[in-house]
Amino acid sequence: MRAEDEARPKGSPDSMGPTPYVARHENSASPVTRHASRPKIAVYWTGSCGGCDVSFLEVGEAIVDILSQVEIVFWPALADPKREDLEAMPPGSIDVALINGTIRTEENVEMVELLREKAKLVVAYGACAHLGGVPSLANLSTREEILGEVLGEGWRRGPPPGGPEEDAPPDLLPRALPLSQVVRVDYTVPGCPPPAGLIGEFFNAFLSGEMPEPGYVFAKAKALCEECPRTREERVLKRIVRPHELLPDPEECLLDQGLICLGPVTRGGCNAACPQAGMPCTGCLGPTPKAGDPGLAMISALASLVRAGEEGEEAIPKEDEILDQLVDLIGTLYKYGVPTFCPLSPERERAGVRGKASPSPVPSQPGRGRRKGGAA
Amino acid sequence: MAEFEPKIVAFLCRWCAYAGADLAGTSRLKYPPNVVPIRVPCSGRVEPAWVVDALRQGADGVLIGGCHPGDCHYVSGNYKARRRVYLLKKILPELGIEPDRVRLEWVSASEGKRFAEVVADFVAELRALGPIGAGSDASRVTRDEESTALRGG
Ligand code: SF4
Ligand code: SF4
Ligand code: FES
Repeated sequence: MRAEDEARPKGSPDSMGPTPYVARHENSASPVTRHASRPKIAVYWTGSCGGCDVSFLEVGEAIVDILSQVEIVFWPALADPKREDLEAMPPGSIDVALINGTIRTEENVEMVELLREKAKLVVAYGACAHLGGVPSLANLSTREEILGEVLGEGWRRGPPPGGPEEDAPPDLLPRALPLSQVVRVDYTVPGCPPPAGLIGEFFNAFLSGEMPEPGYVFAKAKALCEECPRTREERVLKRIVRPHELLPDPEECLLDQGLICLGPVTRGGCNAACPQAGMPCTGCLGPTPKAGDPGLAMISALASLVRAGEEGEEAIPKEDEILDQLVDLIGTLYKYGVPTFCPLSPERERAGVRGKASPSPVPSQPGRGRRKGGAA
Repeated sequence: MAEFEPKIVAFLCRWCAYAGADLAGTSRLKYPPNVVPIRVPCSGRVEPAWVVDALRQGADGVLIGGCHPGDCHYVSGNYKARRRVYLLKKILPELGIEPDRVRLEWVSASEGKRFAEVVADFVAELRALGPIGAGSDASRVTRDEESTALRGG
């Protein structure tokens, strides 16, 4: 259905790991690029941890080559450009804007709308811009709960004492949002942060002018399991454990060992970096087109794998015991995609996740208790 | 105001529950007309994503009907269905959906009467729950509308 299923950019065979960055202008038969002069790029962060900005260094020496082929016109993490500088640029004058971070403040919205106007292409860079990301787990609490917890009762937004009104911090949106829920996004480079191979794949395509269909996600449509070197044999789950409870066998599939590894429902493209290091995949590249909703696809898979001996009515209580070992469902199954896959909090309240809507500002322990999940 | 008529999507396994529903029909048993039956090969074939999809597209409840334990045509599909529904019901509140809107029932091919009773009971329960998404005016908005609304205030 989606373009990314078919339209992989040239030079990135699906069967192999991520393509390392290749300096096309040196070894390509056709050195001509689409860009008459050095393309102008902007990199911007919104509700970001900064990891995405640093991730560009992951490509190693190739960064020198990439940077020599582009002109950086706006990148707050590198230089100190001002909003006025961006405002002064003509619309469409930036060739590509790479935006990372979740959209959390009024200022985030204004800045990405400005970048959208100035840039020909907008790329959602990293899991936050792609799906909402780790900071969007904050959507499990209301804005008032969050502000009350952090600032204490009686907080108010305003400038520092004696300061001018415009020094007031920007207002928080009611919820964190992925970039695509605020402006049109042309491409996505997923990951938390994006792995070097996928960054290289993006720049290869961009600098050579061989960009795939708009909407393309620079990762594989196939599941991570297909590129994971761990061996799968049993395909039966006799218990569910959390990473701190187990020193996993170095060879065997982590899911088979009882760790909730999201490899079966997550896009490949990182060479299974986490499973190779003994940590289960948490789904940062986003679900495969086939999986759709990662949480629902995963509970379908888990239910198929769980066994408490011979299946039958006698096994049911033991099976439920195993299924109950799956805790923190949202944090485990939707770590990067709460605003993309889980709806508004008023519905959650109504469905009894937190019981009665709490009067703002805030109970001392916002949202506690909901982690147990609903009644079965 | 007219009484709320819940819409139910029923995934019924062809070997038992669907045949049971058929029997209810051919025996001219009366049961509420709120069910849209969908025939599936086995209850174990029903994906949690289908259930949530039906609810997100406006069904007020989803019924999954399969063979009694030990009777599944594919030996253990109904046990798998049970585990799936068990987990699904845990995650539904997190997705903003009351878990009682999903029901798993065992109905054999000879239990036309039981099928009629199950439907009547489910309809009564859903009437008490009310329409899906009621009580939250934001619940039916699409993602785009939602983000616009959020940005507006
Ligand atoms: S995607 Fe990950 S690395 Fe990038 S800003 Fe978000 S949390 Fe940080
Ligand atoms: S460890 Fe994870 S990614 Fe690797 S095969 Fe097992 S489930 Fe798949
Ligand atoms: S065939 Fe009826 S539940 Fe499997």
